[in-house]
Amino acid sequence: MHDTDRGRMARRKVKAEITGGGGKGLVDYADKEPSAFSSMLGGLIEANVESRPEKQPDFSSLVARVGIWVTDIDEGVTLDFKGGKLTVHNGLKPRRTITIRADAETVMSLSNLKIGRLGLPVYYDEVGRGVAGKLLRGKLKIDGLLPNIMTLNSVTRIFSVQ
Amino acid sequence: MTVKAFSAEWAKAFKDEVNKSTVYKTAGKGWKWTVGLVVEAEPDKHFAEARGIVMDLFEGEARDVNVGSAADAQKCDFVITAPYSRWKQVATKELDATKGMLQGKLKLKGDLPTIVRYTKASQEMTECTTRIAVEWPDEK
Repeated sequence: MHDTDRGRMARRKVKAEITGGGGKGLVDYADKEPSAFSSMLGGLIEANVESRPEKQPDFSSLVARVGIWVTDIDEGVTLDFKGGKLTVHNGLKPRRTITIRADAETVMSLSNLKIGRLGLPVYYDEVGRGVAGKLLRGKLKIDGLLPNIMTLNSVTRIFSVQ
Repeated sequence: MTVKAFSAEWAKAFKDEVNKSTVYKTAGKGWKWTVGLVVEAEPDKHFAEARGIVMDLFEGEARDVNVGSAADAQKCDFVITAPYSRWKQVATKELDATKGMLQGKLKLKGDLPTIVRYTKASQEMTECTTRIAVEWPDEK
């Protein structure tokens, strides 16, 4: 982290590379060569769960297959949560619980949703309103949303960097 | 004024653009890490040697932006690496930096949750590069 003193700079060790992980083995990859998107999502979740203990209960209990398809790069992943372990697959795999389809910017916005007091995503601040607006306009589509709202909330909590 | 791509003059122009941006000032609040951009050489595009851009960014301000070696940039807290022509695509708005990272066209090293938290700031920094008039070596 930088020293607050202007002009002076100190180094801060960073935890994970996009292609790496923290080392606890929470996340593995189904494909020999994970796509950049797979590595990014897997790395993000692993770093999030390792550094934020409040995410552990959701990660430990979630059993679901979550597909994410990025519409403007035509790439997707399947996140197979297995109660304390996550396997990341390149592309969309069968038997998904929910599938999120949105452009790259919206997918990044999902990671920036704040989590409110009851553990629910906040949809009334700037980021939340943006996400909700895209959902209403059909620019963010979530297949399987209605029967799996609790799953979506768990995924959002694990995903959120806020 | 036109400046040579990824030169010291470009670095100064970029720093000035970042510091002019009210969007970056707000979105970059809380950012305390150094960022290095590695521009890989492409001799066939008349960009013969790799360069590193070292950015000292702090709380919504660019305190310093310098051009050095790729090794200098690799020492930063966050490092984004791509060949010259990819960076050119980003600076000319042909490639969105977020999409580029998701596609692996721009390689990112650093703490992912932190960089994702500052997506808006990084998008604005990309916008800043597009406002600089650049002389590209492969367009001479």
